[in-house]
Amino acid sequence: MSEVFEPKIVAFVCTYCTYAGADLAGTSRLKYPSNVRIVRLPCTGRISPMFILKALQKGADGVLVSGCHPGDCHFDHGNYHARRRWTVFNSLLQFAGVPEERVKFSWISAAEGIKFAELIREITEDIRKIGPFEEYHKLIAETGSAAPL
Amino acid sequence: MSIQEHYRSRAKELLSSGTVKMVIGYGTGSTPDRRRPVFITSPDETDRLVLDKACRTNLSGYLLREGLLSDQKQVAVFFNLDGVRSLNILAAESQLETAQVLVLGFRIEGEEVTALQGERAADFKSLIAAAKEQRKSQPPHELQEKLEAMTPKERFSFWEAEFSRCIKCYACRQACPMCWCRRCVVDNNQPQWVNTSSHTLGNLEWNLLRAFHLAGRCVECGNCSRACPADIPLHLLNRRMSDEVQGSFDHYPGMDEAQEPVLASFRKDDPETFIL
Repeated sequence: MSEVFEPKIVAFVCTYCTYAGADLAGTSRLKYPSNVRIVRLPCTGRISPMFILKALQKGADGVLVSGCHPGDCHFDHGNYHARRRWTVFNSLLQFAGVPEERVKFSWISAAEGIKFAELIREITEDIRKIGPFEEYHKLIAETGSAAPL
Repeated sequence: MSIQEHYRSRAKELLSSGTVKMVIGYGTGSTPDRRRPVFITSPDETDRLVLDKACRTNLSGYLLREGLLSDQKQVAVFFNLDGVRSLNILAAESQLETAQVLVLGFRIEGEEVTALQGERAADFKSLIAAAKEQRKSQPPHELQEKLEAMTPKERFSFWEAEFSRCIKCYACRQACPMCWCRRCVVDNNQPQWVNTSSHTLGNLEWNLLRAFHLAGRCVECGNCSRACPADIPLHLLNRRMSDEVQGSFDHYPGMDEAQEPVLASFRKDDPETFIL
């Protein structure tokens, strides 16, 4: 019997909205795949593109970046700044050949536990379909350091 | 009088009158088709200045050499329009005052080198505005178009092959007028964001990171590609970033010294088609 591929997904989320949304998904007893590892940050404005590269460097098959909807930021405009950065970085990743399924961006509020659970299900399935990020894992293997994730 | 003679005598005049303390320009290089920067402080040396179609390097980075502008004296620099734009960006990022920089402007079109009218960065506003319009209608770069048409997998292996040649000499960073950080993020080892040895993974990370840091700041002067000993088409990444900031945010870097940096500003109605 062949084993089902379980992708490793890292989610960088802001503490005020998406983390609270994930919390709500949990307290509401909603089911979502355990493939996601959540990293909580103060604000999407704190999420540097280097975090995304670092997650891939440590062997992630997919990355999710998520925060408050525009207008809802606890710090008023952290997510507006983040949005510009994502626009630029997303196009750079795609130009470099990172498939768009692997790095996703979303807005999830503290009330959207259902959206969180559904999104995690969806991206886990999408990444399961395209398989492990072999191209990147090959590069990691070349460096001689095993992916610790 | 040829443009070279014109600017030689202008440089002499500026230095002997004491208007500027230094002229940064081009001199003969190690091969006939190369020019190297010269830093002239005496009116007797202005004959070393060369100005022809081989003068492609953007000299604005030299203005940030430690202490050069700290005495409030002026420096004259040879600039094409890209150079003036990078001067504006450096001023917008509070790295220098344009009042301390006298522009000796020129334009290269094929074999022709012509003088640009104006002395201060602000005098070139209309020319830069015209360049912005021209950039919009510029035909796409051939290789860039080819890349965009590829599947992600093919694109990844294209860049993998390119970056595998990178030797992490950081010549791109040293040549870039926009890389003025005293301490670059790759030199940080706690945390170590980027693998420092020159295997392909670290090379990929470094070059993506640099392209990101230059998004909305790069004037596409080509210093990085010319400096790269491995001939990696770095300008393609920067070009793609310029397309993105112009397309999404209507941002053309270096319009004037009051321009807000694109990634340090925002509009509430910025596009967000890719965000779920």
